[in-house]
Amino acid sequence: MAEIQPFTIVDCSLARQALGRNCSNLREVLDAVRNVPDAVLEHHLLRCPLEDHFELYEFPNDLARWCWEALNDPVLAEKLGLVDPYKLPGINELRAVLVETIEDHLWGVDRVNWCRPGFEWHIISSRLVAFETGEHVPTPVALAEAIGRMSTRSLFYHVHEARRRTGGKTDDFSIWLEQLGANPDLVAAIRAIDFYFLNLNQLRAELTAVFQHYFAEAGQAEKPQP
Amino acid sequence: MKLLDRYEEVVGHQEIERLRRLAERLVGKRILQVNSTRTGGGVAEILDWMVPFLRELGIDAAWEVIEGNPDFYRVTKGFHNGLQGLPVNLRKRDFDLHYELNRQNAERLNLQADVVFVHDPQPIYLPQFTPAGQVGRWIWRCHIDASRPNRAIWKYLEGALPHYEATIFSMPAFTRPMACPMFLVPPSIDPLSDKNCPIPENERLETLNSLGIDPERPMLLQVSRFDRFKDPLGVIEAYRLLKPYHPTIQLVLAGGPADDDPEGADVLRDVMDYAGEDKDLKVLMLPPNAHRTINALQRSAVVVLQKSLREGFGLTVTEALWKTKPVIGGASGGITLQVHDFQTGFLVHSPAGAAYRILYLLRYPEKRQRMGQKGREFVREHFLLTRHLRDYLTLLLSLDRPGNGELVV
Repeated sequence: MAEIQPFTIVDCSLARQALGRNCSNLREVLDAVRNVPDAVLEHHLLRCPLEDHFELYEFPNDLARWCWEALNDPVLAEKLGLVDPYKLPGINELRAVLVETIEDHLWGVDRVNWCRPGFEWHIISSRLVAFETGEHVPTPVALAEAIGRMSTRSLFYHVHEARRRTGGKTDDFSIWLEQLGANPDLVAAIRAIDFYFLNLNQLRAELTAVFQHYFAEAGQAEKPQP
Repeated sequence: MKLLDRYEEVVGHQEIERLRRLAERLVGKRILQVNSTRTGGGVAEILDWMVPFLRELGIDAAWEVIEGNPDFYRVTKGFHNGLQGLPVNLRKRDFDLHYELNRQNAERLNLQADVVFVHDPQPIYLPQFTPAGQVGRWIWRCHIDASRPNRAIWKYLEGALPHYEATIFSMPAFTRPMACPMFLVPPSIDPLSDKNCPIPENERLETLNSLGIDPERPMLLQVSRFDRFKDPLGVIEAYRLLKPYHPTIQLVLAGGPADDDPEGADVLRDVMDYAGEDKDLKVLMLPPNAHRTINALQRSAVVVLQKSLREGFGLTVTEALWKTKPVIGGASGGITLQVHDFQTGFLVHSPAGAAYRILYLLRYPEKRQRMGQKGREFVREHFLLTRHLRDYLTLLLSLDRPGNGELVV
């Protein structure tokens, strides 16, 4: 049987590019969503947690937030907020869902909202640059401890980007724990975290809580029975 | 103490380690920065810390400065204004002068490097006059809002861009459609500089006393040059609206002279007239190097305003957030990237709106403190020089290995 290597912590950073284009109303957004390169949709729909800081943002992607904040359109914001790109097979399907959602919404409105000046949606693409941190953790306990202190960018890489790499199936933490023969319930509990609707600090808290729960259970099981 | 160690105390060991790991891939590369002045101005301030920082990370970083005459700087000031869409009157001989001085500087400077960052329009034509193969790649770093430039100026500057492999802008709102890739690197503040470092309490109090500000009473502050786009009269109006309800409140408008703005003196006069004889309203003209005074003022304010009608990135907002102050900002430029309602402050659209939000913050000190803390963490994550450096390193690595997909280095 092959020896399981320690878990390697990776960090990442974004090289962001502007397209020099922005949108002021929903028709312009629809046109953009139809035509922009894939990297734009990846940035605004998948990588936005890296730019997010606050816990009170209701919406998990840039488009939904923009509809809420700039267009004052809570109905569309709600619909777009529920588009989970990690549950779709790829960017083409994501694009199709976004076009359908926006088109359907436009169909039902008499007047197209414009954003206030200064709140335009600026179209950005990004490229993720990942690099090994040189930090390796050998055990589940060490991994749990590392999750508590690793950068939010590392969390993003090992959870969000991992889902993308694995076609939505898994994150890096649970796949390593599985290879290590860890408790299958722990593996399943990590995979069940609805990470897309959490910001990265909330994700850290959820992961920590899952580990603590299973370590506490394991501790109980090891105690001698009365 | 090494430079990196000093910053480690502010941003943490992990952040500095990550910079080291990223930089490992670029060790030994010669990276040259070229701008038009060694001292004064935002670009020189950035290069002042960035070059030694890069060197400490093992990168062969260097900094060259072009030379010009007063006529050259008159022309480049015209470029600066023209890029921002202001009317300028430049003739063909002015463009010829700029072109010729770029040629002379290209001959004079040591431009042998793997990467050359050319800052702003002054040295933009250097690549034109540099022998092929001498520079690995040219990158134009534009610190100015170029989204709606004067057409003639843009046509001239655009002629230099085919030599560049990439450009960098501070925020997407500053860009315009271009063939050259436009990377985004927001500016940053230096947490250890005189303007942002912690200062002793006695120094803070002495500063307030010397300026005639009562340290015992709440103070509102706007730091900005006297420019109509900063809306100083609107700030005074907001203060007057809430003064009847908070009679102890003080307002300080602190700024420097805007030498390059012929309207500056008129605006200052209008502000002084409007301020009148109110002893609780101070209009301070500070010298350009009054960094510690501004630091003390920002730390003493209960709420900081930046009620700009038009703004660049708005680093005074970043400075105030770093000092745990909620900011009431005009919804313009980079202020909208930094001020988030109920999180780090409030975006406002009128003097009455500003007064209303100040009242809210005065009424709820706990919320004010919480927002201040969030603001500081927000800046720590997004707008300190370490993030600035990480963006540069990421960009260089991305250019080294072109492509669209995820890059593992």
